[in-house]
Amino acid sequence: MDSVFIDGLSFALPLFIMAIGGIYCERSGVTMLAVEGLQGFGAFFGALIAFILQRSMSGASMVPFYVAILVAAVGGAIFSLIHVALCLKFKADQVISGVVVNILAIAITGYLTKMINRVVFGATSDKFVLNVSTRFTIPVISEIPVIGAIFKNIYPFEVIIIAVAFLAWYVMYKTPFGMHLRACGDNPHAMAAVGGDVLKIQRRAIMICGALSGIGGMCFAYSISANFSTNIYVGYGYLAIAALIFGNWKIMPTFGACLLFGFARSGGYKAVAMLQMPSSYQDLVMTLPYIVTLLLLIFFSKNNHAPKSLGVVYSKESR
Amino acid sequence: MNSKIKKFLKPLMIPVAAVLIALVVGAIIIALTGSNPIKAYVSLLQGNGIIPKKSYANFKGQITDFMKFIDYVTPMIFAALAVCVALRCGLFNIGVSGQMLISGFTATVLVGYSNMSAVPAKILVVLISILVGALAGSMIGFLKFKFNINEVVSTIMFNYIFQYVISFLINTYYVDPVSRQSKMISTASRLTLVDMKIGGYKIDIPLGIILALLAVVFVSILLNKTKLGYELKAVGYSRNAAYYAGINVGKSMVVAMVISGALAGLAGATLYLGYVGSIQPKVLADTGYTAIAVSLLGNNNPYGIVFSSMLISIIENGGTYMKSSAGVETEIASVITGIILIFSASNAFVKHWLAQKNANRLLKQEKKEVQ
Repeated sequence: MDSVFIDGLSFALPLFIMAIGGIYCERSGVTMLAVEGLQGFGAFFGALIAFILQRSMSGASMVPFYVAILVAAVGGAIFSLIHVALCLKFKADQVISGVVVNILAIAITGYLTKMINRVVFGATSDKFVLNVSTRFTIPVISEIPVIGAIFKNIYPFEVIIIAVAFLAWYVMYKTPFGMHLRACGDNPHAMAAVGGDVLKIQRRAIMICGALSGIGGMCFAYSISANFSTNIYVGYGYLAIAALIFGNWKIMPTFGACLLFGFARSGGYKAVAMLQMPSSYQDLVMTLPYIVTLLLLIFFSKNNHAPKSLGVVYSKESR
Repeated sequence: MNSKIKKFLKPLMIPVAAVLIALVVGAIIIALTGSNPIKAYVSLLQGNGIIPKKSYANFKGQITDFMKFIDYVTPMIFAALAVCVALRCGLFNIGVSGQMLISGFTATVLVGYSNMSAVPAKILVVLISILVGALAGSMIGFLKFKFNINEVVSTIMFNYIFQYVISFLINTYYVDPVSRQSKMISTASRLTLVDMKIGGYKIDIPLGIILALLAVVFVSILLNKTKLGYELKAVGYSRNAAYYAGINVGKSMVVAMVISGALAGLAGATLYLGYVGSIQPKVLADTGYTAIAVSLLGNNNPYGIVFSSMLISIIENGGTYMKSSAGVETEIASVITGIILIFSASNAFVKHWLAQKNANRLLKQEKKEVQ
């Protein structure tokens, strides 16, 4: 039973942080389909640095891990500049821009991983193998039956994500910047009329999205495979987008959606293992989160609506 | 220049310029990676049989490569048309890959593994894939119109559901123990006539391309010459305006998704029962995602899509040969695709910039005249 909580959380939280990034971007009025590419590029950047640090440090050191998360955020933010340039500067279609970022991220990270391995490390490999992240258990609370499992075998990144998520929530709903950002998504011209710089706010929103996606990607690289390769592009970025739309572009409901994905997934795996079904049944169980989502959406999406100016290219003259 | 020709050429100027600039930038990148860009581009064309290679293996020739390329383009044209029809109605069909998979799989199981003779088998494959794709599409449209479920979410959910269920079914019932893919379909049911010996060459003949070109004409007529197409586009421009004009918005959206799904189904048939002949479990074809870009590159115009599909396919399909002959990694091919998309996506900016320049010039002229 414990593993359902442990695995569920370690899947839901990286997804959540990516979804928050998407919320920032879309609430500012810019369509965000590039989460998949941004998380991959962030993970690549973080994994590369961690891989270099690992070689000069002892295996048990957690320094590469923390540096990797930070660098992944920077990497994601840098790569998101493509989206910034295309959407804001060149007024490109935001959907095509998202697709471009994804295509480029897969190609560039795949190519660079191979080349860096060959040229710098003299190895023919298409991945950076990472040290396995340590986990910790909080004493006392983890002894509580059932719920205690939440505090068992925690990845350090889960704590980081919760902290960052809280900060992101605070900024979005309790600060002027967050309010301006949301105003941009609903009525950018009103925002401009009261003296706000719409493009500047949108630029920041996209870069925040890049940074948060990068963190999410790095966490997936640590938790799922303990390496970086192009196998990281399995569509979790798109899943994060689904989660944020499911959550009606709001942070707390989106958290619920991510938990649903996480627990349905880990619960399904557990069920297959417990019933001793052949492993091919795992595939069948894996559909659970998505079927449940569709069913829930049937009941809960009546009042769903996207930010009013989502995807509308903003320019001053179009008033 | 004749004004008629000018009118025809003008909208083509910017996209063509975008592609040319992108190719130059791509060449610089290839040069930076230490390879010869001209050799790389030549090998892209050679790999697709557009210009001849230096030497060929037995029974292979330029025509072999070219037909293989046409076979590769076919699903891309269908998939891009699927994206285009939905997009013109304001719907974003990100689930083309999933719809391709379910249609291809259903046709594979029902016809591909039967003993039917060639003609009925091929006709059935086409009909079944259209039907299944249309059903899958209609579900998305129905959920959108009845329950206000955003099509991006529902298509992503269905992508996963189809992918996992079909992976389960393949691994349980239809797996080929050697290739770890689904068993090959019967030759009779395959939409590509494989290894036909014609004039001393072994050639794959993709029958789907005829259908694809017909589909292009069909979509073009639908969108530009029919009441239904007009309504779809009206809904795409403004849902509210269409509603007040008395157009049944819900119906239009469902119909758009049915057509989009049917086209995606044909993409699945021509990919899984044409180009490949089997299905790899747990993998969604990239085609559905690339098709979004291809459709936008073709300006969401059916005829434009034919050209953009070919352009992107030349690069993606030629990547393998570019690697073996010019030593350029296959990922670079995707980078070039990305750069082409970047430059063509900036169309609006270039147009805006040109218009502004024009306006400034007129303003100056006016000032001079006043003085």
